[in-house]
Amino acid sequence: MTITTRETDMNERTIISVRNLVKHFPIETGFLRRQVGVVKAVDNVNFDLNEGETLALVGESGCGKTTTSHCIIQAQRPTAGRVLFRIGDAEPMDLTQMEKGELKEARRNIRMIYQDPYSSLNPRMTLLQIIGEPLVIHRMVKNQDDLQERVAELLRLVRLDPSTMNRYPHAFSGGQRQRIAIARALSLSPKVVIADEAVSALDVSVQAQILNLLKELQNQLGLTYLFVAHNLAVVKYEADRVAVMYAGKIVEIGETEALYSNPRHPYTEALISAAPNPDPDTKHRERIVLSGEVADPGNLPGGCAFHPRCRYAEDRCRQEMPELIDVGGNEIQSHQAACHFAESLELTGIAGPTLREEGGSA
Amino acid sequence: MTGIQRGGTAMDDLAPPAAGMNGALLSVRNLQTHFFSREGVVKAVDGVSFDIKPGEILGIAGESGCGKSVTSQSILRILPKNGKIVGGEILFQNEDRTVDLATEDADGRVLRDIRGKEIAMIFQEPMTAFSPVHSIGDQIIETIRIHQEVSKEEAHDQAVEMLRRVGMPNPARNIDEYTFNLSGGMRQRAMVALSLSCRPKLLIADEPTTAVDVTIQAQMLELLRDIQADLGMAIIMITHDLGVIAELTDRVMIMYLGKEVEHGTVEDVFHRPQHPYTRGLLASIPKMEPGRVEIEPIEGVVPNPYAMPTGCKFHTRCPDFIAGVCEKHDPPLTQVAKGHEVSCFLYGGRERLE
Repeated sequence: MTITTRETDMNERTIISVRNLVKHFPIETGFLRRQVGVVKAVDNVNFDLNEGETLALVGESGCGKTTTSHCIIQAQRPTAGRVLFRIGDAEPMDLTQMEKGELKEARRNIRMIYQDPYSSLNPRMTLLQIIGEPLVIHRMVKNQDDLQERVAELLRLVRLDPSTMNRYPHAFSGGQRQRIAIARALSLSPKVVIADEAVSALDVSVQAQILNLLKELQNQLGLTYLFVAHNLAVVKYEADRVAVMYAGKIVEIGETEALYSNPRHPYTEALISAAPNPDPDTKHRERIVLSGEVADPGNLPGGCAFHPRCRYAEDRCRQEMPELIDVGGNEIQSHQAACHFAESLELTGIAGPTLREEGGSA
Repeated sequence: MTGIQRGGTAMDDLAPPAAGMNGALLSVRNLQTHFFSREGVVKAVDGVSFDIKPGEILGIAGESGCGKSVTSQSILRILPKNGKIVGGEILFQNEDRTVDLATEDADGRVLRDIRGKEIAMIFQEPMTAFSPVHSIGDQIIETIRIHQEVSKEEAHDQAVEMLRRVGMPNPARNIDEYTFNLSGGMRQRAMVALSLSCRPKLLIADEPTTAVDVTIQAQMLELLRDIQADLGMAIIMITHDLGVIAELTDRVMIMYLGKEVEHGTVEDVFHRPQHPYTRGLLASIPKMEPGRVEIEPIEGVVPNPYAMPTGCKFHTRCPDFIAGVCEKHDPPLTQVAKGHEVSCFLYGGRERLE
């Protein structure tokens, strides 16, 4: 199914457009599996992924960041909304409307890397089989020699020794396994890579290797990344833009540096404040410690879902759900926040309290 | 060696246990804990020494396989079956007596009295600390009554009081709840309450914030800080997260492959890191600072534990590797400033090799 560009508001740099994405899971009970409620895992999410950029989805467990990424590749079918994907100058396709067979081409172009390289790689397959499998399935290689040559090339790309291609994953460390997973993801020369907590399970010295490798590969191959993560410092290093999610919604989205130094949603401010920094001088600074826990997406509070934990909450927040509104940025990089008081609150970012300039020209 | 208390040299090993504690609550000296399996021997902890004074917060940091958790399991003698302490001392100042935990019977009276009462531990996953079929209150009351001669009612009151201290919203009701009814953050608090119920002198926290979200982690660190100020126990914080170390601890010991590589105040170690491994670790962490701050990974991979490098364990990945020295000899601990020690040939020890 194709859609003309005019029907959408995709601009020419956009490769994936997520529009009003909703994913609800029913809560069922009893023998008859009667539905008694609904978990709003993703609740009306909108964003554009632009070609060549890294957009991070960040938030705590249960915020819907992983479900959003699964809904993009249709690993889970969204309840409502559209996921528009466009390759080059072709008309965008709405992935949510496509049958399994039709999705093959899109899935060749949107690949995933998962968190745990110990469970995402089949222990009974050699590297040649693991990395070569997608090439065989998509008939991208002519014969066995061709396959070996391509796999060797991919192994070199992720800085692994091609002579190891007949070995099994157990012979490799966590960082090396993640390189194998990356090689597999890149085997079909995709346009977009979704990295779901791809470095969270790694030790810091190895995590840094993988972060830098992902950046090099992006420059080399012109990849677009959707980087799903919970670690704010890692996201700051890796992403050009950041979308902060809370209870199934995007509460703030903007260019990384602007969002970190000048957050406009109280949740973003609290996340930044809570992130531990390896500097003992910051030990005595006043931290914002949120009380309570992340809202239960199966039983969301009324109004703004963040209001029970928000230190700035007023009556309006308990009644009225805030919409994402423009709070600065420019035509190319907008900065939006979903808070009734986004314009008036003086929030603190990583640089300490900042003086906001009118019109966000800073 | 002035200003700091530490053992671990060959001469100290001959001294009687009670000597040289220098007011330390716990003194670990040249601890060696090895694991025996069919594939060979893993020297998980290979000659580690440190002291902790009453009321002090010590961090032990390092990446997976560095031996930080095995060190804590050695102290409480809760090692897996194939793990054995093969050398060294773990001296604990119990009332007016010094006990060597390394040589006591792991299931004996002395350790059972110390475990939970004098030294308590909190874990990464609170579900492992509790039984799912008893209420958290029953488990806290049981712990209190094992170690103190108090009535059930008194123990109940103490348990409620402890739950209140750790910030449970409704202690009188929470005490009858089961772990599966509690959220992750509340479970963590309940675990802290359980571990502190007998007012231990030392709390060992093994990655207590690793599995939780960042806002819950912030709550947990605040809780540990408050409760330490309140009850005054010493804390050993074991974590891979140097941000948590910087946030909470006074002193830190950095470990790599079973060895101590650097030790000092957090200010010294974070602002003036000396060992190439410590410098590499700090350089590889993305920072929460404005502007673009590059990160530099440590090259290579952590060696296979069954085929440990000779000499300095870090030499295979070290940017400052000195050929002919580092791969042949174990670097001794060298004091670079008062209370700041490094085990690296860059800072001395080469003159003693001949």
